[in-house]
Amino acid sequence: MAINEQMLKSIIEDVLKEMTDSAPAASAPAAPQGQAAVASGVELAPIGEATVGTAADEVVIGVSAAFADAQTVNIIGVPHAKILKEMIAGIEEEGMKARVVKVYRSGDVAVVGHDCAELSGSGVAIGIQSRGTCLIHQKDLPQLSNLELFSQCPLIDLDTYRAIGKNAAEYAKGESPAPVPVKNDQMARPAFQARAALLYLKEVEHVTPGKKPVEMKVSFK
Amino acid sequence: MIIAGIDIGNASTETALARVTDGTPEFLASGIVGTTGIKGTRQNIHGVFASLKQALDKVNLTVEDVDLVRLNEAAPVIGDVAMETITETIITESTMIGHNPSTPGGLGTGVGKTASIRDLKKANKGDSVIVIIPREIDFENSSQMINEADARGVYVNGAIVQRDDGVLINNRLNNKIPIVDEVALIEKVPMGMRAAVEVAEPGQVIDQLSNPYGIATVFDLTSDETKQVVPVSRALIGNRSAVVIKTPAGDVKERKIPAGKIIVEGEHKKAEINVDDGAEAIMEAIRSVAPVLDVTGEPGTNAGGMLEKVRQVMSNLTNQSPKNIKIQDLLAVDTFVPQKVRGGIADEFSMENAVGIAAMVKADKLQMSMIAEELEKELKVKVEVGGVEADMAIRGALTTPGSNKPMAIIDMGAGSTDAAIINRAGKIHSIHLAGAGNMVTMLIGSELGFDDMGLPEDIKKYPLAKVESMFHIRHEDGTVQFFDEPLDPRVFARVVILTPNGMVPIPGNYPMERIKQVRQDAKKKVFVVNAIRALERVSPTGNVRDMEFVTMVGGSALDFEIPQMITDALSRYSIVAGRANIRASEGPRNAVATGLVLAYCEGE
Repeated sequence: MAINEQMLKSIIEDVLKEMTDSAPAASAPAAPQGQAAVASGVELAPIGEATVGTAADEVVIGVSAAFADAQTVNIIGVPHAKILKEMIAGIEEEGMKARVVKVYRSGDVAVVGHDCAELSGSGVAIGIQSRGTCLIHQKDLPQLSNLELFSQCPLIDLDTYRAIGKNAAEYAKGESPAPVPVKNDQMARPAFQARAALLYLKEVEHVTPGKKPVEMKVSFK
Repeated sequence: MIIAGIDIGNASTETALARVTDGTPEFLASGIVGTTGIKGTRQNIHGVFASLKQALDKVNLTVEDVDLVRLNEAAPVIGDVAMETITETIITESTMIGHNPSTPGGLGTGVGKTASIRDLKKANKGDSVIVIIPREIDFENSSQMINEADARGVYVNGAIVQRDDGVLINNRLNNKIPIVDEVALIEKVPMGMRAAVEVAEPGQVIDQLSNPYGIATVFDLTSDETKQVVPVSRALIGNRSAVVIKTPAGDVKERKIPAGKIIVEGEHKKAEINVDDGAEAIMEAIRSVAPVLDVTGEPGTNAGGMLEKVRQVMSNLTNQSPKNIKIQDLLAVDTFVPQKVRGGIADEFSMENAVGIAAMVKADKLQMSMIAEELEKELKVKVEVGGVEADMAIRGALTTPGSNKPMAIIDMGAGSTDAAIINRAGKIHSIHLAGAGNMVTMLIGSELGFDDMGLPEDIKKYPLAKVESMFHIRHEDGTVQFFDEPLDPRVFARVVILTPNGMVPIPGNYPMERIKQVRQDAKKKVFVVNAIRALERVSPTGNVRDMEFVTMVGGSALDFEIPQMITDALSRYSIVAGRANIRASEGPRNAVATGLVLAYCEGE
């Protein structure tokens, strides 16, 4: 097609420019949305190598290597702190417990999700990348399958993240939740593809092959 | 000579192939394919050809070997279904009936005046308050505000929350209170009114607010006022959480919708019944005026519209003017339909009473002779139209081992239930009744709230199972089945229909037991009722008991539970009832096709 190299180039250039000068500023426009005091940040402190859970009432949230660390906001500037808080709230509202594990060996959301599903006491886990792409996984599924996939990360809002946590918890309880409604926008792909690719590259910089997943203590600041 | 009996049914076209020597048939093979086009139209010919070919291929014969093809004279009967809701629930700001959030917070019963959480700071020490928490205030903030008020000595006794935050707020409170969440239209909750919130333990149901005296205790009601809250408490029975607000005008009403009258015209009598009197009254009227000549609805009412719609569909199908369409039988069934509660503040639904109606219309003779002519041209074999469908069916059914005259058959199809009886002398009498498979599908669909008819159709036809893990399912009878390969993730943790094409997940959070119950009730309401009704009509004495043998033929006889239901119901009248086994090999299929061959041999 004639969408042409030139246009693509200019988009990438734009994005690159944005990336370089908005890296510190990216979190700034997002912050005023809520009370800065509550959710300006989250700290993930490593506890130790993650082990297979025994509690049937836990849902593991698997985060990728750069999540809430090298990167702090998703592809549209929503802070990771808020995303994590909503997902944990969704799980807690269903009477289940959330455990956060960081996966280093890959930046692929399917790997993150499936590794954590195998660690989860209930067999159900959420996997999320720094850019915001996420899925709900189950340990008996093939890695590249999933229970629910949210691939268009620019379209996922905080209510959806809450609903994803809630659904994961309901699967863990053996209930039959209606899949979280997913927004679809044909323009999301062209508008965000370059940025998504860049963010993934930035993610992969922090991937350490062979490194075991680490359980994280979550503290919201 | 070789004779082929071919039955063109609504759903399938069946062939029985036989060699007749000296009037004794020797059956060679059978064929079955889906009917092409609508029964009685030219399109049927393709199906007839395919069905015949299938049978011929089995015994290595060709069309040239066939000496005679006999077609059935189809019973020109068409059925249709309709549904009308006859009650509605209207509430005025007093309560949330039918609202049962899956995860309310806290425990117990709390009473106080409703107040927005934003005004909680203004509350005085010693006040009893039920806080209203809108979407904008998140669980961290709201729980903090409640804790602060609590520390000041304000009695925050309960909460009504817009988001799904009940458990989250409760987990952050110093003193636990009952919290009802997911109240969508929270701005409709009146402020400054006395309200009560009750939440029961998981697995339990509320007992205070579902008891009229419980509400009277909470709100200090007089005996007259207590009478008025009965519908409120009744509506809350079975909930895990509830809110009742006492406002001067608050009320819950269950109102009957005037649905209009149905007028049944019989040969000698005429009867008028209100649709909102329910199915039983309608069926009683039909029985009292039998034989029915026509059924009409009061013009300008829902009942009138419903019957006119049926008439319209029929007239389109048969190319006749609606005036000439006479509804000759009606089956009315009581059912429930989930309807949005008018005036509700949490988008509640309540199960309202409804009446489902199936109507049966006799049309002109279908154009079987036209099909026969065309077929004769194409096959270059003599084609003739054999006897009446019911007569043929009963002849076929008599080939079932263990059956004998006098015998009755029940043919349960999609649109109508047909019955016929043959007496010892061989005289056959047949009738057609409204209500069959399509009505069951409609009842299942409406009671479970599915709009599209494909899913209820599958629910009707196949058993259910719950997928409990990626590797095992639990069938509806409790047995567990394991799989070596992981199942499709789309069916994980869901109730599924076990269709021949794989598992179909059922949307919504209905437990398997409930769906099974709805399915079986619908089948009983239509098929068992109709089986008895049909036998009453064909029985020479009008009494079902005077029959000895009943066999079931037709598509519904292949259902996995309908034959057992009918066998069970009829065994109470000491009738031997069961699924036919045509020629000891065909099951309930091929009765008419077989009958066509047999009729020829008997010299008809």
